[in-house]
Amino acid sequence: MSDNHRTDSDILLDIRGLKTYFHLDEGTVRAVDGVDFTVPRGTTIGIVGESGCGKSVTAFSILQLVERPGRIEEGSIVLNTGGQNRVDIAALEHDSEELRQIRGKDIAMIFQEPMTSLSMMYTVGFQMAEAIRLHMDVSKEEARDRAIEMLQAVGIPRPEQRFDAYPFELSGGMRQRVMIAMALSCDPMLLIADEPTTALDVTTQAQILELMQRLQEEFGMAIMLITHDLGVVAEMCSEVVVMYLGEVVEQADVDTIFHNPQHPYTQALLESIPRLGHSHEGRLNPILGSVPDPYHRPSGCPFHPRCTQVITGRCETVHPEISQLDPRHTVRCLLHEEPHG
Amino acid sequence: MLQYILQRVLLMIPTLFGISLLSFGIIQLPPGDYLTFYVAELSAQGEEVSEAMLAQLERQYGLGRPWYVQYFLWVRNIITKGDFGRSFTWNKPVNDLIWDRVGYTMMITLLTVVFVWIVALLIGKYAATHQYSPGDYIATFVGFIGLAVPNFLLALLLLYYSLKFFGLSPAGLFSPEYQDAPWSVGKWIDFLSHLWIPIVILGTAGTAGSIRIMRANLLDELHKPYVITARAKGVPERTLIWRYPVRVALNPFISTVGWTLPELVSGSVIVSVVLNLPTTGPLLLGALLQQDMFLAGSFILLVSVLTVIGTLISDILLAWLDPRIRLS
Amino acid sequence: MTATPHAATPSALPPIETPEAQDDVRLLVAGQWQLMWWRFRKHKVAMAATAISLLIYLVAVFAEFLAPLPRDYYAADYTFAPPQGIKWFLENEFGNREFRPHMLGYTVEIEAVALRRVFTPDPEQVIELGFFVDGLEEYRLLGIFPTRKHLFGPKDPTQPFYLIGADKLGQDLYSRLIYGTRISMTIGLVGVTLSLVLGILLGGVSGLLGGTVDNIIQRVIEFIRSVPSIPLWMGLSAALPDDWDALKRYFAITVILSIVGWTGLARVVRGRFLSLREEDFVMSARLDGVSELGIILRYMLPSFLSHIIASVTLSIPGMIIAETSLSFLGLGLRPPVVSWGVLLRDAQNVRAIATAPWLLIAAIPVVVSVLALNYVGDGLRDAVDPYSR
Repeated sequence: MSDNHRTDSDILLDIRGLKTYFHLDEGTVRAVDGVDFTVPRGTTIGIVGESGCGKSVTAFSILQLVERPGRIEEGSIVLNTGGQNRVDIAALEHDSEELRQIRGKDIAMIFQEPMTSLSMMYTVGFQMAEAIRLHMDVSKEEARDRAIEMLQAVGIPRPEQRFDAYPFELSGGMRQRVMIAMALSCDPMLLIADEPTTALDVTTQAQILELMQRLQEEFGMAIMLITHDLGVVAEMCSEVVVMYLGEVVEQADVDTIFHNPQHPYTQALLESIPRLGHSHEGRLNPILGSVPDPYHRPSGCPFHPRCTQVITGRCETVHPEISQLDPRHTVRCLLHEEPHG
Repeated sequence: MLQYILQRVLLMIPTLFGISLLSFGIIQLPPGDYLTFYVAELSAQGEEVSEAMLAQLERQYGLGRPWYVQYFLWVRNIITKGDFGRSFTWNKPVNDLIWDRVGYTMMITLLTVVFVWIVALLIGKYAATHQYSPGDYIATFVGFIGLAVPNFLLALLLLYYSLKFFGLSPAGLFSPEYQDAPWSVGKWIDFLSHLWIPIVILGTAGTAGSIRIMRANLLDELHKPYVITARAKGVPERTLIWRYPVRVALNPFISTVGWTLPELVSGSVIVSVVLNLPTTGPLLLGALLQQDMFLAGSFILLVSVLTVIGTLISDILLAWLDPRIRLS
Repeated sequence: MTATPHAATPSALPPIETPEAQDDVRLLVAGQWQLMWWRFRKHKVAMAATAISLLIYLVAVFAEFLAPLPRDYYAADYTFAPPQGIKWFLENEFGNREFRPHMLGYTVEIEAVALRRVFTPDPEQVIELGFFVDGLEEYRLLGIFPTRKHLFGPKDPTQPFYLIGADKLGQDLYSRLIYGTRISMTIGLVGVTLSLVLGILLGGVSGLLGGTVDNIIQRVIEFIRSVPSIPLWMGLSAALPDDWDALKRYFAITVILSIVGWTGLARVVRGRFLSLREEDFVMSARLDGVSELGIILRYMLPSFLSHIIASVTLSIPGMIIAETSLSFLGLGLRPPVVSWGVLLRDAQNVRAIATAPWLLIAAIPVVVSVLALNYVGDGLRDAVDPYSR
C-alpha cells in the first residue's frame, strides 16, 4: 500500500459526510459533524483526538451502535465487501437482517472496558459460540472447536478449560484477549478497536497491541484503532485521521503526520506529548485551553480559540474547507486554503 | 454454593426460634390460660371435667409452671407429635382446623408471586425499553396507584362493582355446588375460575412495586458495555434484550421476594377476610377476636415459618441462577 | 455530566455545563437546604402533592370547625340515609331563581317486610346551607377558643344534614370523615416519630459501634422483616386488654405499628452512618480533633438529616395503611374513636356495601393522602440525592 495511487477496490470502508447528533434536553450536540475518510483494506488506521472530539461516536456510528438520544443524521458509510458488493450501512434499517449480518461478521468491534464488555451471566464459550453460530453455518460442536481455536490464537492458556469459564474468573488482559478472539472468530474484514488498551495496565497494553499486530498479519483484516495515545498510533498505524470537535482536521500517512503535520491542532497534539530521544528543553507544551462545551461551538474554524496561528478576522468567521495537500494528505485549515484553492 | 446454602439454613434457625417465641408470646399475652377457658367451655356445655383429665392436660401443656417450661413443652409437642394444642372455640385440635387453610394461603401466595413476577417483568421491561413513552408513564402512574390503594380496598371495590353490575358476589374460592364436593375436574375448573380474583387483588400492590424495581434495574443495565458488545456481534434485538440485560436485571428483582412474600402473606390475610376465602385470614381473625389463642398462635407460627422457608428457597434458587454466587 | 445514560459515548461527550452560566455562582454559594428546595421545586407533581398533604393536615387541625356536626351526633331515624347532595338555586316568593345553596330533607318510610328505611327526597323540606353557621354544640377551636361556628352547614342545625350519606347509626359520614382525618393522619405522624426514635437509636448504634452489636441488630431487623406484618400486628393488638380507654389504645396501636416500622428507618440511618464515616470531611474533622459526639452532631447529622426526612415521609403512608387495615379488621382503633379504618369497618361485608355503597367513600381520603405523601416523599428523595434514581 505504499504507492500513492489507490484503486477503488482497495477501499474497504468509505465514510462521506457523516453527521451524528445527540438531541438532549439542553440542546443538540453535534458529536460527529461531517466526517469523511476511507479505510483501506488490510491496513491499520488510527483515529486520534482529545476526549470529546467525536472519535468514539464515529466508530459507534459505523455499526449503527449509537443509542438514543444520538442519531445518524446524514452521510454514508459504504462498505465494500469485495467485487461489486457495496452496502451503505448508514442507510440500513435499525435491527435489520442486513445490518446484523455486517455486525460481527464483516465488521467486528472491541471496546475500552474489557471488565464490563462481557456478560457475567454466561460463560466465555457461550458468548463466543453465540457470535460464531450467528454468522457461520456450523453445529454447536464446530462452534465450540472454532471458539477454542480462537482462544488459542489469542494466546490464552488451556483454552478448553477457559471455554467454560465465566468472565469474572479472568483478568482484565485475559478478557480483552477473549474479546479479540470473539471479534475475530468470524473472520471480519475490519476490526474496530475503541481505545482497547486504555483500561489496562502498561505491560498488558503492550501485549495486547502486539497481539493485534500479529493477528493482523495472520488474518489480514483492516484495523481501525481509536486512541488518544499518539505513541500507540506511531507503533501500530499506517494512516492517521486527526479529529477535532466532530470534524476530521487532518488525514495522512503516519510518517507525514509525525514529521510534517500541517494542521495547527495536529502540531499542538504532537508537541504536547513527551518523546523519548528528543530531549525537550524545558517543559511540554500543553494545548491552550480545553475542548469547548458542545453547546457553544466556536464560529468559523472550531479550533480558532485555541489556535496559536489564528488569522484574526478570518478564522472566527470562515469555516475552512478540506484542502488536498497531496493525494494522501488532506487538511482542514485556512492556512492551507489559499495556495491550493 | 453448598457453603452458602448451609450458611443460609443456619441463619434461619435463630429466625425460626424468634418466630416460635413470638407466637408463644401472643398465645400467652391475654389474661387467663388455656385450661381455664377449656374448663369454662366444658362446664358451659354442661360437661363434667374429671380430675384425672385435668391433671393429664396440665401435664401435657405444663400449665401452671414457669413460661419457659410451657414454651418448651409447646415446641416439643409441635415438633415431636405435630400437636399444636386445642382450639376452645371449635373444641377441636388445632391440627384439624389449620392445614387446609394454610395450604390454600400458601397456594394463593405462591401463585401471586408468580403472577407478580410475570406481570412486573413484562411491564417493567416494556417501560424500561420504552422510557418516557406514554406506556412508560401509564405504567409508572398505575404503579403509584397500586402502591397507594391498600389491597383490601381493592377487594371492597371489586365486591361493590360485581354486586352493582353482575348482582353477584365474587367471594369464596368455590361455587356453592362445589363447596363440599370431592376434588374433580369440574371442581378444579371452578376453583381456578375463582382463584384469579384474589391473585389479581393481592398482586396489584406487589406488582406496582416490582415494576418500579424491574424498570430501574433494567434501565441501569440497558446501556452497559456488554449489551453493546452483544449488539456489535449481530445478536437480534429481541433476543439480545432478554438474554443479556433482562437476565442480569432479573437477579436483584427476584431477590425482592424477601419482602414481597411476607407482604403478600400479610395481604392475603386481610383480603381473605373481605372476600371470605377459606384461607388463614378469616379463621385467624375470628380466633383473635375470640381470644382463641392456641389457634391464633399456631396460625401466626405456621404462616411465618412457611414465609421464612419460602424466602430461603427463593434465595437459594436465586444464588444458583447467579454464576457469581454459585461458583464462589 | 448529564444523568442521561448513553454508554455508547462515555468518553466522547464532554461535560455539559448548565446553560445559564450565571447560575453557577448561585449554585456554589447555596446551602444544602437551599439546593434541596430548588431541586424539589422543579418536581411539579411533588409540589402539588405537598400542597394536598398540608391541606389534609389542616383539615385534621381544624376538624371541629370544618365538620358541620359533632363527632358523635347521631339520629336513629336516619339509619343509612343516602347522600343528599347540594342544590344551588332556590325559587323565591316572586318565582325568581336565587343563589341559595340548600339540600332536601327526606320523607322516611319503613318497608314492611324487610324493616328497611326507604328515603325519598322531599322538595318541600328545604334545608338551607350557609357559611359560618352556628352548630349544635359549643366546642373549642384549637382547644382554646370556645365557639359554635362551623365553616358551613345547615342554617338550622337541628335539620338533617347528610352530604355524603349516613352510617348505620344515622351519623353524618362527611363530618365523621373529617374527624377521622385527625386520627388517621396523626397516627401516621406519631407512629413514625416513635419508629424514628427507635430507628435512629438502634440504627445509629448499629452503624457507630459495628461488630457484634451491629450484627445482632441487623439479625433482629431481618427477623422482623421476614415475618408477615399483618398477622403479627393482629396478634399483638388482639392481646390489648379490652378495658383500655381510647387514648391508651391509640398509643398502644402506634407502638405496635412501630415495632415493624423502625426497621426500615434503622437501615437508612445505619447505611448513612457507614458511608459518612468514610467521607473526607468527617475524616478531616476527626484529624482536627473534633470529638466523636461533635462529629456526629455537627458534621454527620446535618448531612443525613435530609435523607431521614425523605425516608420518614415515605414511611408515613405505610403507617396510615396499617392503621386503616387493623381498624378495618376490628383489631385496631375502636368506636367511639373515629378513623378512616374505623369508618371502613362498617363496609366490611357485602350486605353493608349493597345497602349503603357510600360507606366506601371513606376509602377516598386514604388513597388521596397515601398517594400524596408518597409523591412528596419521592420528590424529597430525588431532591436529596438526584443520582439515586
